[in-house]
Amino acid sequence: MPRQVLEDTLTADSIAADSALAASGDATAFERLYRTHVARVHTLVRRMLDADEADDVTQDVFIRAWQKLSTFRGESAFGTWLHRLAVNVVLARRKSVGIERGRFINGPEPLEGVTSRPVTPELSIDFEEALSNLPEGARQVFVLHDVEGYRHEEIARMLGVVPGTSKSQLHHARMALRRHLDR
Amino acid sequence: MNDQWTNRLSEYVDGELDSTERATLEAHLATCGHCYATLGELRQVVARAQSLSNSEPESDLWPDIHARLTQDAARLTPGRRPGVSRRFSFSVPQLLAASIALVLLSGGGAWLALESRQSTPAPTVASAPRTRITREATWTGRTDVAIADLQTALTQNESRLDTATVRIVRQNLAIIDRAIADARIALQKDPGNAYLNLHLANTMRRKVELLRRVNDMAAARS
Repeated sequence: MPRQVLEDTLTADSIAADSALAASGDATAFERLYRTHVARVHTLVRRMLDADEADDVTQDVFIRAWQKLSTFRGESAFGTWLHRLAVNVVLARRKSVGIERGRFINGPEPLEGVTSRPVTPELSIDFEEALSNLPEGARQVFVLHDVEGYRHEEIARMLGVVPGTSKSQLHHARMALRRHLDR
Repeated sequence: MNDQWTNRLSEYVDGELDSTERATLEAHLATCGHCYATLGELRQVVARAQSLSNSEPESDLWPDIHARLTQDAARLTPGRRPGVSRRFSFSVPQLLAASIALVLLSGGGAWLALESRQSTPAPTVASAPRTRITREATWTGRTDVAIADLQTALTQNESRLDTATVRIVRQNLAIIDRAIADARIALQKDPGNAYLNLHLANTMRRKVELLRRVNDMAAARS
């Protein structure tokens, strides 16, 4: 077996083992899960919410995961389960704090305030900046669809909209990012 | 410039148009430079989104998370932690899978460590798991095979350790093996017993940790 394949296998098996042990109350195993997955969770939260909320909400995600580990049956990868949980925590957070402003794009230029930068592969940070300036609804759909790989039907269920709205938001977000990055 | 097709370009990029719409749009793209250019830009945006990387938080969040977990535990009666107070949802095979995963991790880690030592002529600690780590094998079969391999490897590498260490390791392995055997006998009588499941998983984990430490120690002395 090639070394990389073996290492991947061992990593996946280790995560499965740690999830079972954490479910039994093993905080050390849970810390290992945290170390493995925190970057992905924190990045997701930061992209979907404001950056200054990311640390608090990431903590909430892992606390919630600890509390709900008994519902994880090992039928999917732990990372998939945790990621979905993180999305739910983010969406619940938005709902609880009443962030509804800018949920839908009304105008054609949602990124007017973003600093213009040329498009080069080296400047992905600028893409992140442009993304953070999208209206909330468009940002959520764009992150969930284009970054995280969810389907419109899933996004629509999560956001409580129809799939057509998700598609429309996604197109507006892509067009906005394209226009900004093209300048 | 905007036409009736501009707003459908994202759906085209995502393969969500039906065959008729797709053919019509492709015919349009052949004659509309604006839509053709926009299509390329949208694809660039999608590609950029898919290439974004994740980044760690600026500060370590674990101390605060751990503190909150501890606070939660302190507020609850022992055994009433959410998630543990309910019936444990992992089956026996899943728990064995979790345990053997750690066995394999230990074996594979030792194998990787020793294989990288080109100057080591002796049999490597965990060469056997290299051929036995397959998805086809059942978890229970993997448990027995991997444990046997690791114990064989340990025997082969005992000469690298001092006598006192070997004696203590053997004594502890014997204790752990008795506990594992007892748990398995009990589980045969009561396969759904949550406590026994956890006890078996944790006992095997202790064995794994012991084997890992000893194999690492032996590897370090090769």
